[in-house]
Amino acid sequence: MAAPRRESTGSVGSPLRAFPVVAVVASIVAVAMHYNGFVPAGPPQPRVDPVFDIRKNAVYVCPMDPDIRSNGPGKCRRCGMALVAGIPDPVEFHLDLTTTPSAPAANQTTTLEFHVHDPWKDRPVQKFVIIHEKLFHAFVVSQDLRYFNHGHPVLGADGVFTFPVVLPKSGMFRVLGDFYPDGATPQLLTETLFVPGAPGEPPVLSRDYSTKSDANMTVSLTTLPEQATAGNRTRMTFHVDPLDGFEKYLGAWGHMLAASDDLIDMIHLHPLREDGADVQFDVVFPRPRTYRVWVQFQRNGVVNTVHFDVPVEEAPK
Amino acid sequence: MRRAIIAAALALAVCAHLRAHDVSKTPITWNREISRIFFDRCVSCHRPDGTSFSLMTYPDVQPRAVAIRDAVLSRRMPPWGAVKGFGDFRNDQALTAEQIELITDWIQDDTPKGNNPRMLPPLPKFAPTPAISVPPDAIRLSDTLVVKSPIVLDGLFPQQAADGSQIVAVRPDGKVVPLLWLYGYDDRFRHPFLLRRPLALEAGTIIRGVKAPASVLLLPQSPAPSPQPPGTR
Repeated sequence: MAAPRRESTGSVGSPLRAFPVVAVVASIVAVAMHYNGFVPAGPPQPRVDPVFDIRKNAVYVCPMDPDIRSNGPGKCRRCGMALVAGIPDPVEFHLDLTTTPSAPAANQTTTLEFHVHDPWKDRPVQKFVIIHEKLFHAFVVSQDLRYFNHGHPVLGADGVFTFPVVLPKSGMFRVLGDFYPDGATPQLLTETLFVPGAPGEPPVLSRDYSTKSDANMTVSLTTLPEQATAGNRTRMTFHVDPLDGFEKYLGAWGHMLAASDDLIDMIHLHPLREDGADVQFDVVFPRPRTYRVWVQFQRNGVVNTVHFDVPVEEAPK
Repeated sequence: MRRAIIAAALALAVCAHLRAHDVSKTPITWNREISRIFFDRCVSCHRPDGTSFSLMTYPDVQPRAVAIRDAVLSRRMPPWGAVKGFGDFRNDQALTAEQIELITDWIQDDTPKGNNPRMLPPLPKFAPTPAISVPPDAIRLSDTLVVKSPIVLDGLFPQQAADGSQIVAVRPDGKVVPLLWLYGYDDRFRHPFLLRRPLALEAGTIIRGVKAPASVLLLPQSPAPSPQPPGTR
């Protein structure tokens, strides 16, 4: 049984009497919306940081050929059907790493070749979406964690990304590829590469939060909580100095790679927000190990790369 | 005036709500993202009539969220038992970095269920688990092995696993091919690692990385069925 409707008897029942209230509310809403960034008019602002977010990006899939996908609407190039928007499956593509020469040698140029294949029919992927101003980001780390390289393989006409590097020693290297196949979700895939010869020494890391300097910046680190624990968010705040000339590098205020001392975990992150000279990353370290954390910041066109060592303890039960 | 203040407070609350639900802040939910991962990677075992407790529904999963996070981050679950990016396997059941991040973020944000059940994916269908068959010509590797005649390797099957073993093939030209890096392999969940692409290994290739008493079976590719002569069907 429906409840009887009640007549409004309050002071806002009359439009004229309500006007001051409406005006006040409207003003507050306008100010608050502007504060929140909901500016209804004005020139469109370009997106300078096209970070993919699975929660807001649709993937367009052919209903007949589910391997035909796009990040925008269109028609299936195979059957001509209109692509329909769906929830992107976080599927994993295949990344194959080959080298020229086949057996890399220390201190000589080796070209890393990245071949991407789709997970549905294992066909070569040749269409990629730019992410952080590049089609492909590669991170190469040596087993002893003393060698770090962040570069950008170039896509050839054959669909293969190539990246020349000079690996300084024999042993194992882990390579993290960060790329975004069109019609899928961004991929963070790790590969392993060996330079023949004596195996590298596993690193022995201990806490190192000391202030670091590179080309034209000094970077210091604090963490919250002070002691990082596995499985819980750790806020890492990097204070950069000087602030003048500090600028985005590849569309982000900073880039981070964290590698566990056994090279099993490779984590690539960008800062969630920046506040003056403080750049903050929220990191969930997966396991109780010690992690070497490289961060890159840019000032006056010069990239600064420094690293810190962060011991991570087991979370209290 | 009192009503004006209340109205203003309500307006601010609405704006704060809008900010909290800014598109880029829309939470990860069970209905939308997390159920897909569980259906894909967990429920073949974790289901009613499965081999372990059910993780098919939100009420199944939510009370176990912290334990699930720990198991996922430590790589105990799914029980794949190998490091990603060291060898490439067609039966890979490990979670991707993106899936681990989604699960972790979801649990850090208090496991929202979502308010639209239509976002749930269809329930998965379960096929009988195929029995593991070891080909009779499998090669037992319990120390360094030199390939005498060319073989095409289709997979590796740990028998007595030694955690941390890095198994590689060293070709005659010196190239080192990563085959399998065991990590957290649990004999209770024994399974082979089947290569995504069979790997041809020439004579003289050295396979190493297993130390006795640990052993791993090298599974050669089954020979292709011989073409039948015309008229035999």
